[in-house]
Formats: sequence, structure tokens, C-alpha cells
Amino acid sequence: MKLVTYLYQEQERIGATEGAGRVVDLHKAYASYLRGAESNPASDDLAQVTLGRDMVDFLRRGEQALDAARKALAHATGNPSSAADAIVDPKQVRLMSPVPRPGALVSAGKNFSDHVAEMASKKGPSSPVAFLKLPGTVIGPEDDIPHPPEVKNLDYEVELAIVIGKACVDVSENQALDYVAGYAAFNDISARDIIRGENKTGIHLMGKSFPGFAPMGPYLVTADEIPDPQNLKLNLSVNGETRQDSNLSYMIFKIRDMIAYWSQMGLNPGDVLTTGTPRGVAAGRKPDQPPWWLKPGDVVEAEVEKVGRLRNRIVAE
Amino acid sequence: MKIYLGLLESSLPDQTRIFGEIDGNLVDLNLAHASYLAQAGDCVIAYERAAFYFPETIAEFLERGEQSLKALEEIVSYACKNGARDLCGPAGERSVYKPSEVRILPPLKNPEKSVIIGFSDRARIETIAKAEIPTGFYKLPQTFVTNGNPIIWPKFSEELDADGCLALVIGKAGKRIDPAQAFDHIAGVTLLIDVSARDINRREGLTANNLLGKNFPSSTCLGPCVLLKPTRAELEALEVELTIDGSIKQQFALRECVFTVEEIIARWSMLGLKPGDFFAIGASMALKGDRLQNPVPLRIGSKIHCSSPVIGELSHQVVAAGGLRR
Repeated sequence: MKLVTYLYQEQERIGATEGAGRVVDLHKAYASYLRGAESNPASDDLAQVTLGRDMVDFLRRGEQALDAARKALAHATGNPSSAADAIVDPKQVRLMSPVPRPGALVSAGKNFSDHVAEMASKKGPSSPVAFLKLPGTVIGPEDDIPHPPEVKNLDYEVELAIVIGKACVDVSENQALDYVAGYAAFNDISARDIIRGENKTGIHLMGKSFPGFAPMGPYLVTADEIPDPQNLKLNLSVNGETRQDSNLSYMIFKIRDMIAYWSQMGLNPGDVLTTGTPRGVAAGRKPDQPPWWLKPGDVVEAEVEKVGRLRNRIVAE
Repeated sequence: MKIYLGLLESSLPDQTRIFGEIDGNLVDLNLAHASYLAQAGDCVIAYERAAFYFPETIAEFLERGEQSLKALEEIVSYACKNGARDLCGPAGERSVYKPSEVRILPPLKNPEKSVIIGFSDRARIETIAKAEIPTGFYKLPQTFVTNGNPIIWPKFSEELDADGCLALVIGKAGKRIDPAQAFDHIAGVTLLIDVSARDINRREGLTANNLLGKNFPSSTCLGPCVLLKPTRAELEALEVELTIDGSIKQQFALRECVFTVEEIIARWSMLGLKPGDFFAIGASMALKGDRLQNPVPLRIGSKIHCSSPVIGELSHQVVAAGGLRR
């Protein structure tokens, strides 16, 4: 399934997209299913309890909620007349990040050897490296990215976001993928000049965490649809010009390694890990070449094969 | 005024309530205010109005701003007139408890910005590069515990350490706040113990990161209350002491910090601040402004105690992993 969180008539809803690209409201479709198939008089309330308040709440409910979502989707596509109010024209919705409020947002750094080289790091790390982005930075797949006036060196990084579906502590690499709910495309926006200032005496947080620095989406593609997440192409373009073009197979620490390592601190449903980025970022550009820093008006498109594409415009804040 | 977030014995996990400390008792502010409104003749919507001023979390209470603070003042003067012990809800509901009868929770549940400002004391700064800007690291809300909870030694570390901090709690939203106005954005202050796995910190520090070594279950002790609206002088004078097994590791006051409260709030407000966000100061504060002492080594069974006379105390014991996992 391709799960989405979206705004419809100013309300945040969760849904799934069907074959023709329309959005099925999970709560309304499941309530319709319960009324029809089970003649349940309290169908709206039961749908709410079964599916939860929002995507993280939905993920916490595990298989039962996923199963209900599948039934809801099949019901809505199979009975378009009785579930008419559950099917929404995609033009009438604004997609948010499928997980608009992750619990933790753990972003890998230095995880592609070509990117490590372009950032003039001496060598790759001996254990997975990651930093936290403030979860409030997450925005939707087509939302604008505000360019803070303080920032001179605004950069992009295409990555895959891995959304955790089950609580896990100290899991092994072999079992790690069992804890994944699904995947989304991710763009780790970075203020390189702010980060340089922070790194002098501390650690970097602010330079990764301005509002809108984490476009994510467009869908949460459930794990069953991506059996081999380690072999997906990813690319990023600015104003149609390709800047990053690589494959997740070049990751130093693989997705399994990352989940196993970060599960040491305990991961929960709705936590998000991101893979790190390959070469081609603006910061890796040689000084004698025209700089690639993002500026207001630029359109950044970040795409991960089979997962989807983000398209965000940079706007002056 | 000190306010607490707590659960009553029979409450469901999300039915948190805000309590005020009056004469050593914890008063359920929602019911106490309903009672105040009812006796003033506002019977019909007393419960709803009181629930508006005193919602389920302290962050939402702070969001209400001046009107909730005013409602709080009304309760305090009402309680002083009528005696806090006899306060009850409009229909006689119990609203006064002994501290032992309430399960106190971390006062802030899920702040967007729970940041500890690093390397901020003068003694420490002399030994490292001069910090020009107040950098900080983020503590995940899922790591929060409060007074009395055990600190669970993480399996991945051989070397645990603890630092006491004062956390400045934001009460008024703002973005790119003028330093001259920054103090007005502070609603209050609480205590925080930053528990670190030093061996992991050192390794992560090589890449200017700070994640696993600072974010594991029970690595952030927060509370026990929010001391509301201290004056600037009161805030600067607040002394914080951290002891490990009775020996003093840290003693400091905010005036010893290299950055002013206003500099910290102004800088971080570039990201936009919301009620309930906090910025903690003191993670590297030394003993009485001296150079940082050799940390007293923590071990299983160690007792960590962080206190400030006006705010209260956080008291924790280090326990082994396993058996006590949440």
C-alpha cells in the first residue's frame, strides 16, 4: 500500500492511494466497510479506535491496523458507490509528510564513500554515524522550503527514509527489516555555514533543523512492496539539472546495520531513520566551479526508485 | 508558584492533570478553578472554562498565556482566603492531595525543542576553543523520566556520567526574538539531569555528533515541577547542585554561564520557539566555577541527586539493564 497523510478541508487525515491515483480516506472507507460487511452500528467509532488518530498512532497499532487499512482500500475500490464519500480527488488534497510528526528523526552522515570523499573527510567511520534533526522540520512532498535569511550555504541531500513500524531494542541485522513499516523519499536540507560554526565548538543541530529542512513523502510505501530496499536508485535535480544520481547499494552501513545499531537506544513506531546521501551535494563542489547553493526560486526534485518523488520550491523567508 | 504534571491513582495514562503546590499540598488546578468560578456564580460552564485554562498538559497551559496565569492567581488568592486544605470541586470533588498521592510525571511531555546548551561555563571554556555561539544538542522526549525513576545503565556503555542543568521553559512563541525581549518568552524553569555515556560521546564527537551517547531510555531526568515566572534576578541567583553518592560534583548558578539567557533564546529563536520548548544550561558547569573536577565514576547502585532550593530535587538510582525496561 501507499499510505498518505493529507489535508482535506483543512483537516489532517490518513489515507491510501488507489490505482487511479485517487486518495481513499481510511477512516471513512473502513467505517463504510464495517457498516456494509458487518452491519456494525458503531462503525465510525470503531474505525477511529482501530486506525488511530494519525499515522504514528496508526503504526503503533501494528498488523491489526494494517489489515483494516487493506480491507478499507479494497472495499472503497470495489464499492465506489457505497464508499463514495471516502474517495477524494487528489486535486482537492494537500499531501503532508506521510509521518508528519516522527518521534525521532535519525539521519545518517558519511554513509556513502563517494560523499565521504567529496566532503574531504579522511576516512569513513568505523560505526554508523548519525545526527538528530528536530522532528518539527518535517514538511510535505510539495511544500515550499523556506530559505532562512541568516543562511548563505543552503544544500540538499537525497536520501531514503525508513519508517519504523514496531518497537525494537537490540535487534540483530538479520531481523532488522522486520521492524520496518515502510519507506519514503527524503531530502536532508542543510545550512552548511551554520553547521561549520556549530562544529567548531559543539555538535550540529541548528544547521540541520530550520523549519522545512526535511521534505518527506510522497507516500509511506509499505515494506511488503519493497522487498529489496538496499538496491534502489536515487537521484536529485535542481531546476531540472541532475546533481545526484546513485544507488542505495553503495551505502557503507546498510539499512539493516543502521536499524540494528540505532535500536540500541530503543526505536519506536513512527521513528524515522534516513540513509545518508551520495555524492553531488553543493558543499562538495570545487571552489573554482560556480557554486550550487540553493537560492529562492529553485525547484529541488528528490526521487527514490519505487518509492516516489519530492518536488519542493525554495522560497525566501 | 510551582506547577506539576501528574496522574491520580485511578487515571488512565493520558488523563494527566496540572497541580499547583499550595501550603505543601498538591491542588488539582482544574477542579479548584471550577470551584472558584462556581462560587462566583458562573455555574453553567465552570467545568468547561476551568478545563480551558488548565488543560491536560503544561505545554497547553503555557500556550494559553496570560489568561491561564491570571486564572492561577485567582485560585491562589481564593485558596488563601478559604484555606487550601478544604478546596474541592463545585460538586464536592476532591481536589487537594498529599504529594505522595500523585504520580508525578516529567513536566513537559513532548516538546519540539528540548535542547541542552553545550560547553557554556567559563572554567571549561578556558581549556577548549572559545565558544562564540551557544551550540546545543537535542534530547529525545522518549528519554525523559522524572524524580524517583531509576536510570537504566545502557548495555552499550562502560562509562556513564551525569550533569545537572537548569532548563529554561519557553512560555511565549516567537521567531527571531530581539534579545531585549527574550526574557519575556521564558515561562519558568525546571531541573534536568543529562545522563551521558562518555565512551560513546568520545567516539561520536569525532564526527561532531552526539546521539546514542545522550539518548537512551532514562537518559534525561526532568522536573519535578516548573517554577513559574521567576524574575531575572531570581533566575540568575538559582543555585544548582549535583551530587553522586553524597559527594558534590557540580555547584553553579546561571550567572556563571558564558552566554546570557537572552543570547541563548535569541539565537535559537531563529528556528521558531513554542510554549513548552526548553533550553537547558549547565551540562558542563563545574564546581563553584573551578575547573571541571574529575567526574565521580558512576556505577550500578549510584545515587544521583540534583537540587535547587527553590525548585526542588531530582533523585535517581542507577540500575542494571534488564528487568526494569519500560
